[in-house]
Amino acid sequence: MSELLIWLVALPLAGALAALLLPRRATATAIATGVATTLAAAALLHGVATQGVMHYAIGGWTGGLGIALRADGLSALLVLMNALVVLAASVYASAYFRKPSQRARFWPLWLLLWTSLNALLLSGDLFNLYVTLELVGLSAVALASLGGQTAAVQAALRYLLVGLLGSMLFLAGVSLIYAAYATLDLATLARVAEAGPILWSALALMSAGLLLKTALFPLHFWLPPAHASAPAPVSAVLSALVVKAAFYLVLRLWLDVFPDVVTAQAAAVLGVLGAGAILWGSWRALHAERLKVLAAYSTVAQLGYLFLFFPLLQALPSDASRDLALGGLVILALTHGLAKAGLFLAIGVVQQRSGHDTIRDLDGTAQRLPATTFAIALAGVALIGLPPSGAFLGKWQLLAGSFAAGQWLWILVTIIGSLLAAAYIFRVLGHAFGHGPYPNVAVTLAREEWPALLLTLTAAVVLGLAAAPVWSVLETRL
Amino acid sequence: MSATSLLVFDGLLLVSMVSLAWAALASTDERRSVILFMAFGLVVALAWARLLAPDVALAEAAIGAGLAGALLLTAGREQRQPTPVHGAAGVHKRHDAPLGSALRWAVTSMSAALGGTLAWALAHAFSRGPQDGLAQAVSANLPDSGVSNPVTAVLLNFRAYDTLLELAVLLAAVLGILALGRERPGYAASGPVFDGLVRWLVPVLILTAGYLLWVGAHAPGGAFQAGATLAAAGVVLRLAGRRCIGLPQGTTLRILMSAGVGMFLLIGLALLGFGRPFLGYPAAWAGVLILVIESAAMVAIAVTLVLAFLGGRPQPIRVDALGRAPALPPVAAPSGRTREAMPRAESATAEALERCNEEKVRC
Amino acid sequence: MLTAHWLYGLTGCLIVALGLRAALLQTSLLRRVVAVNVMGTGVFLVLIAVAYRGPEMPPDPVPHALVLTGIVVAVSATALALALARRLNAEHADE
Repeated sequence: MSELLIWLVALPLAGALAALLLPRRATATAIATGVATTLAAAALLHGVATQGVMHYAIGGWTGGLGIALRADGLSALLVLMNALVVLAASVYASAYFRKPSQRARFWPLWLLLWTSLNALLLSGDLFNLYVTLELVGLSAVALASLGGQTAAVQAALRYLLVGLLGSMLFLAGVSLIYAAYATLDLATLARVAEAGPILWSALALMSAGLLLKTALFPLHFWLPPAHASAPAPVSAVLSALVVKAAFYLVLRLWLDVFPDVVTAQAAAVLGVLGAGAILWGSWRALHAERLKVLAAYSTVAQLGYLFLFFPLLQALPSDASRDLALGGLVILALTHGLAKAGLFLAIGVVQQRSGHDTIRDLDGTAQRLPATTFAIALAGVALIGLPPSGAFLGKWQLLAGSFAAGQWLWILVTIIGSLLAAAYIFRVLGHAFGHGPYPNVAVTLAREEWPALLLTLTAAVVLGLAAAPVWSVLETRL
Repeated sequence: MSATSLLVFDGLLLVSMVSLAWAALASTDERRSVILFMAFGLVVALAWARLLAPDVALAEAAIGAGLAGALLLTAGREQRQPTPVHGAAGVHKRHDAPLGSALRWAVTSMSAALGGTLAWALAHAFSRGPQDGLAQAVSANLPDSGVSNPVTAVLLNFRAYDTLLELAVLLAAVLGILALGRERPGYAASGPVFDGLVRWLVPVLILTAGYLLWVGAHAPGGAFQAGATLAAAGVVLRLAGRRCIGLPQGTTLRILMSAGVGMFLLIGLALLGFGRPFLGYPAAWAGVLILVIESAAMVAIAVTLVLAFLGGRPQPIRVDALGRAPALPPVAAPSGRTREAMPRAESATAEALERCNEEKVRC
Repeated sequence: MLTAHWLYGLTGCLIVALGLRAALLQTSLLRRVVAVNVMGTGVFLVLIAVAYRGPEMPPDPVPHALVLTGIVVAVSATALALALARRLNAEHADE
């Protein structure tokens, strides 16, 4: 059963090689790999929910000599979210890329990105995390520059350099950890690491690198251009999954591996930066002229909400209220992942149909593409945090946690952020409705519209109504 | 060596290292900066040898200084302007230059703070006393690993999964490079001296690569160093103005590019099928399996690094009815030299084609 | 602790700081790439210094393997960055 962990990495990797070696059958190979990997991810979640934390020692070497893979509730949930988003985006991408040469270049890199995301979420070794971070970064950059346009290549280059800087800082932290504890295994470190100058510096360096990669304000400057000029399916995965992977690492390191080192002040710093991200990101989204730029700034803002949880998790005592808050965080992350991916895919449909994604000129999109506009609206529901979306539950937990911990600032920020989100979403929807007649058919471009619709539906409705299992799965913690 | 002379050597080495780094970073001319960086890399390789890390020294010299330097120099060849004009988006810029001195001071103090934190923590780590790291665990398990070089054992056995992902990193980078455009324009055919050198240098490099691969099991060496040496052979051929450097095309090229990752996956999953852990080689077979994987990895690394040096999709060489190949694309040298390069290139192509046919290298 | 540790380890930190400063302040892509590579070399210096156990004992091989991996990763990223820059220059050459 624990072989599932290595299969989740081996399947997309094998798919990438197959897509590379058989370019004419690349699309079919990719979709088949996608389905297989999604099934494996579902099996993993089921396995973790029933049997608890899963370990796999690669090569059979234990005791820190080899590399171990680990899956608990948090990583299993994120792996499944990854699988659903990538599968949906793959279906969309099979219709998005028309030319065979584009497809031949896209699929191997796409599957390599999926491999790296899974490898990152399941890794239990610090240096292995560095390698997976680099693989994520390089494949994401290569995908983002696939269009070849100047804006895309420029943004990709900036992304690459920022990513390299972040990885180097992360590696510096890892070297300190090895110097102090002579092990790179996360589970061992969680047992033996004690607060002190070495650990503090190592965590500071690693976090600095990761915060660059997760685009936390004010280190977010690279994100909007990169996500806005990449091809639509790539933007979806970049916003929904790649930045979330770096966030997952911050969460894992701060909460599970090195919890003793984290102080209230450090958590407060993250909270303040998160608040800045919410306000600045939402403000810029409100003034965005293009849909993709709006969605990219919305990602900056939504990541801010995730960081707002840190001071709460630090302040709350280790009991039910803390678990509730953590569950809220995860549900918010899951909802955002699905909703943002769906939003980018829907924007891609709009862009391909109208030739542009300027908000002011959206007149009548609702008429021509009713299913897509509905998807955008659903994504908006999830981004604002209206019930019954999962984001509503997440933000509710955020507010409840702030009350319990007595930190009122976050409540104010959350409310303002949600109002701003409502403003920019309704602005888009306002422009999308024109005065023309309504068509008889809801879904006009099946392969392109269904993925966006399904993703946003899950985010806006399913995750909210069926959220209770999330909390119970999260009880399986490393 | 006595302790004092070692200390003097260390001091000299470190001083030259830091000076070269500073000079490379502060130099105003880009080409000079890259050459100083290559010199820095070679001094660093010396430091690795001093710190008893010969595998790393080989890799740093071949890849870190050699190939990276070659990549940077070729890239610098194409720059029209040595320093970018502000607003010209040909180059990535983060701040509007000229940078205010306040900003420079802020960045300097932040870098100093980060470096200082690292140093402070490192000092604490060193003060704890001598550490063995994982060395004991490695030497305890070395007899079962199939090789006697501990670094190879770690790379290809204990932490083979890292190496697998690293080969995937190489693959992702080269796929990105290939998607961005065609290969860089070639070089004009070399004169007799360099050509004569190339004729014997390339076979020696290939032999050295094979040797490094074989010897990596029990002495410093291994797939990465061998792959880099093989790539160096390709780079040298390219620099000599040859049209064909031994790179296959089409499906064969893709197979070679993915050979490293592919072999790892094949063997890992096969072992899984036999009931062993992923990449858990049985002790009796470990040596053979490692050699097989290393051979595939060497080829993949060589092909990938050469493609990176080429800078894009290699163009097939087409021959017309009379057996002539079209002229080499003009060398994109800054100002003036382009006109000279063109006629030389046309006659050079016919020679190059002849050489190709002589040596029966697949074009 | 061994003198070599202090010498090489702290030099590594210095080189990291130099590389980081240059990476942030330089405007030319080529020099930024060189700076990031220098910064990486600084981190590798720290790792190899940690691995050194003195002239008599064999060093710890794990950091050596890590640094080897790091060197290859760094050169891959460098190659991709240079290819992206080349594409940008080509775009502007046509303007």
